[in-house]
Amino acid sequence: MSHAVPLVTSRDIESARRLIESQRLSFEVPFDNLIGIHEGGRLVATAARSGFVLKMFAIDEAYQGGALLGALATELVGLGRAAGHDTFFVFTRPEHAGAFEQINFRLLASDGPVALLEYGGGLEAYLAAHAHLRRPGRNGAVVANGNPFTLGHLYLVESSARQVDTLYLFVVTEDRSVFPFAVRYRLAEQSTSHLRNVAMLETSRYAVNAAVFPSYFLKQRDEAALAQMRIDLRLFGAHLAPAFDITARFVGHEPSCETTAAYNQVMAEVLPEHGVALVEIPRLEDESGFISATRVRDALARGDFDTLAALVPRPTLAFLRSPEGAAIAARLTSSATRS
Amino acid sequence: MEIRRKATAGTMQSSDLLVTVEPARDLEVRIESTVKQQFEHLIRARVEDTLRRHGVVAGLITISDRGALDYAIEARVEAALRRAGEA
Repeated sequence: MSHAVPLVTSRDIESARRLIESQRLSFEVPFDNLIGIHEGGRLVATAARSGFVLKMFAIDEAYQGGALLGALATELVGLGRAAGHDTFFVFTRPEHAGAFEQINFRLLASDGPVALLEYGGGLEAYLAAHAHLRRPGRNGAVVANGNPFTLGHLYLVESSARQVDTLYLFVVTEDRSVFPFAVRYRLAEQSTSHLRNVAMLETSRYAVNAAVFPSYFLKQRDEAALAQMRIDLRLFGAHLAPAFDITARFVGHEPSCETTAAYNQVMAEVLPEHGVALVEIPRLEDESGFISATRVRDALARGDFDTLAALVPRPTLAFLRSPEGAAIAARLTSSATRS
Repeated sequence: MEIRRKATAGTMQSSDLLVTVEPARDLEVRIESTVKQQFEHLIRARVEDTLRRHGVVAGLITISDRGALDYAIEARVEAALRRAGEA
């Protein structure tokens, strides 16, 4: 039986690139593993893994519909499990979703050029682990990174919580921020502990972060941001919202920022299809403008604690003054001087 | 026997199954299968039978099946258990 092997030599990697590109896909770094299957000395199938994301599946047309997809997936899942992951995502074109379902991947969301499938039952496990937080009623959600948690976040959470029975505050788990997840979560939790109807949870991998979203299967790279946003919203609308009776998602309204405005517009379009209303809350402002985590990080880089005291809740301020906070401030200061 | 560590056996190929076993407080068998509707009860019976024969009383057993026959189910579960129990 054909067996998948790691592709490590530059010649093998070049063959993989040609095979991938022959299927109108793009070769996309980085990856943790690149594997392939040879027949008669020729590379006929390839695929890669980047963390818990499996990607760049390409099988020579003469070999499609056979056992090669299963062989590639088996090998990548084995390598991924050895690296400590137990659930895997694959982002692919919707026309390939069926082939992955045949090998026990589950379709989580599909939108335009993207299908997201999962292997390993992670979503079920995630919902089961948070089932104790379920409260029947008219519930809402705020999804925040909180890098770090500001008075702006607090204002959004307080205003939203007043409008619903239970407000679920999802903190983005994916760690691509200056403040590590554990700190972001703790500061959000401490800063909202006075709100009786707020329940906290982490998004785990069920907020599709731009950093994990591959774009190898998109025709245009500039589609990526929009496609990632839409699939993230579908996943939220189809799986997270119904699990917690969420019928409203609250976001900060920021008329001056184009990216945020575009994002909110996509939300207003996608979420109602899943029975979730988008509610925009005016953002908290002071005389220098909107209160944002960016302003907090800038002030922290300057060591300007007077400004910080006016921008963040007490738990965040206490953290920023701690040795752990000082270490983050030092990193921000050095990257500010470098750039 | 005792499941001491996480271990797997099998493949995602047609007529095969991928078995993962890992330590857990209780015994639980989760089954994903392309023929789940018709055959889940039979797959489960075969898995539980194999677990019983090896005296497994705790662990999380995850099966991802693509229409494997009984002897394949037994062999894959047993292989995963042996890997999980090795000292």
